[in-house]
Amino acid sequence: MRTIALALCLFPGVAPAMDRTTADTLIGRATVAYTQGDHAGALALFDSVHQHWRSAGLAYAIGNCHFKLDHVPEAIVYYERALLLEPGAEDVKANLELARQRTMDRVNELPAFRLGGTWERWIGGRDVDQWARRALWVWSLAFIIAALALLLRGGLRTAGLALAAGSAVFSLVAVGLAARRLRAVEHPAAGIVMQPRVDVRSEPREAATTLFMLHSGTKVSLGTERSGWVEVTLANGNVGWMPAAALQAI
Amino acid sequence: MMRRALSVLLSILAWPLLVAAQEITFDARVDRNTFEVGSSIRLTITLTNAQGSFSNPDLGGLTVVQGPFESSSFNYVHGRMSSTVSRTYVITATRPGSYTIGPASARVGGGTLQTQPITVKVEKGTGATSDRLLNEGQQRDRDLFVTISLSKSKVHVGEQVVATYTLFSRYPNLELSKYDLPALNGFWAEEIDQGETTWEDQLRTVNGLQYRVAVLKKQLLFPQRAGTLKIEPLRITCVVNRSFFNRGSQVEAMSNATELQVLPLPPNAPAGMQGAVGTFTFSGALDRDQLRADEALELILTVNGSGNLKLIEAPALDLPPDVERYDPKINDRIGISGSGMSGSRSFTYLLIPRHAGELVLGPFELSYFDAEADAYRTVQAGPFTVQVAPGNGGGQAQLSRPSKADVEVLDTDIRFLRTGDLDLRPAGHHLLGSWAWWSGMTAPVLAFVLFAMWRRREDRLAADPAGRRRREADKVARRRFKDAHDALQRDAREPFYTAMNKALHGYFADRYGLGAAELNAAALERALGERPDAAALARQATDLIAACDMARYAPLEVKSRQAMYEEAITLVQRLERP
Repeated sequence: MRTIALALCLFPGVAPAMDRTTADTLIGRATVAYTQGDHAGALALFDSVHQHWRSAGLAYAIGNCHFKLDHVPEAIVYYERALLLEPGAEDVKANLELARQRTMDRVNELPAFRLGGTWERWIGGRDVDQWARRALWVWSLAFIIAALALLLRGGLRTAGLALAAGSAVFSLVAVGLAARRLRAVEHPAAGIVMQPRVDVRSEPREAATTLFMLHSGTKVSLGTERSGWVEVTLANGNVGWMPAAALQAI
Repeated sequence: MMRRALSVLLSILAWPLLVAAQEITFDARVDRNTFEVGSSIRLTITLTNAQGSFSNPDLGGLTVVQGPFESSSFNYVHGRMSSTVSRTYVITATRPGSYTIGPASARVGGGTLQTQPITVKVEKGTGATSDRLLNEGQQRDRDLFVTISLSKSKVHVGEQVVATYTLFSRYPNLELSKYDLPALNGFWAEEIDQGETTWEDQLRTVNGLQYRVAVLKKQLLFPQRAGTLKIEPLRITCVVNRSFFNRGSQVEAMSNATELQVLPLPPNAPAGMQGAVGTFTFSGALDRDQLRADEALELILTVNGSGNLKLIEAPALDLPPDVERYDPKINDRIGISGSGMSGSRSFTYLLIPRHAGELVLGPFELSYFDAEADAYRTVQAGPFTVQVAPGNGGGQAQLSRPSKADVEVLDTDIRFLRTGDLDLRPAGHHLLGSWAWWSGMTAPVLAFVLFAMWRRREDRLAADPAGRRRREADKVARRRFKDAHDALQRDAREPFYTAMNKALHGYFADRYGLGAAELNAAALERALGERPDAAALARQATDLIAACDMARYAPLEVKSRQAMYEEAITLVQRLERP
């Protein structure tokens, strides 16, 4: 199943610069280094793999290395990336929570409808391509059902065609979800404050009124960008502008 | 008094006689010239055959312990009279050295008599005055001092030391008004009960001075940490010489400060070592050795001996997990005396076996440090065997199970890396929108369109029976004349006619059971039956066969091969259609 999916998603002719065997070897060496407490060495190895390959587990490992090296904002960035790639991952959420405990800002989140872990994982998909795969399968299934319905007569045929139409609609919804996931990963809507202290101003210029201050590790939603300034929104709804250089997009 | 008066009277009466008869002497004498610090000598000054008073000599640093005692004697023997007046001092020295007792002088008649100075040598004592504490105390205050003495000067952590606070006094009358015990930092102290403070029966002599001695207090000290532990001086306030007529005077005295060297316990401590120091034995007992499951059992472990018994903690029991246990009840029978803390401490554990079977408890171990031998020792009790019979259901022992303790979170840390396949995907590539995805989405649509077209054609054909029969007849015909068609395409004359002949004969033989010999127009017409065009068809068929045969054997072609082929196909189609 996985190999089929992998074969499907491998773009013919666009082979990554690092082959899979090398990547696996590097990850193995990095894991040994991490276990022995050489977190800086492990981080370098994981990073070299991360330049060519993506995975929630890899982002999580890099986040762990940063955490152990006391780079809390970087750790949060990578944990958030891992969560984007695999929503609802328990281990990532646990470590992200610990990393957030080390940040200075406490932002009261606006009450929002929060999904449970299982549902969150299902709706988010195990990885970025999950909904694209679901769309493919359901799409194929819709036409198989439609073809079978054509062989039938009367009420059964109508029911079959209705089922096929339903599947096709579901498949299109799945395409929409897949597109949304892809956009979230490719164009992240959130960022982490990387500088120890940043003034958030009312306008995108240095002399504007300082609305509030943020410290490293705080997560903000990214809005429009304008000449090196980004409009950020906090989880509690506060909006302001801060230099883009002080941020790292997830 | 009476005697003295008499002697004076007699002396006066006998004066002329005496002066004439006897020589006058005045001398001083000691019983020995060399003595030790702490012992005493007697100094006697004697005036013979004269009347007069004499002064005390300068003792040059020596101390009078007793005296002076005076005595006089008067003798009259054979008409000769003699008289003696003597004065005796008991003197001592507190420090070694050479002392000179100055001359004593006496006025006799009109002149003055003097004794010779005496030099005595005081040596360093070997006896009672060797105690440094007492010497120092005496130097602080000759009349009243207190000492703190420790039974040992160098101990291990936890090893017991007896501290004694002793009062030395030369005042005949002394009331202790208050004393402040020093703070004991680093010690665990235990009072030794010695009843009311009383003077000891024996006087103590320190460097020749006699003191009344009282032990104010005795304490058992257990040092709790290694290093040099200091005990601050004790301060007392007394009222002395109080009597009915006298309010007395207030006197303060200080004791010495003392130090104790505390050594740490050696590093190679056994596992069960919990700080017990001393000499101990370890024993155990069970209140019974047979019981039912869920009934209670008492295990008593007793530590016997001397040492820091009160600091011994309950030994950790290594019991099978299905034996419930409760915290032990501690029973002490500990005596504290001048020789230290000794006795026994017993731990009574309540155990409840939950399952039947033979239960082996122990052996239990107690480790302690033997300060005398400077080594750790481990003593054992048990093992004990209990036979546990199956319990009777509910059981009498309705003891609630101890509540489970929550897992204690000692620290938090991030979770470890994921192990196994990390499910790597090439960076920057996603399934959605890829070539593979688009083909995967298009393929079912194309397949379905093709299927639907086929299905639609099938349906249309199913709706038209005549056309269907026609097509089937056509199919039969074309299948029959396939070889002929091939030959026609190849433009091969001979094979064409052979194939045509074979196909036509084969068709009539298969379809109507007419062999080559029976095939003529009449027979065919009969075989065709009721059809209105039977005669025409029969004639056409026989004509065609004849034309074929002729063309096959003679180089004459009436019609083109194509026309002949078309005619054969049409014929078969018409024959096939009812």
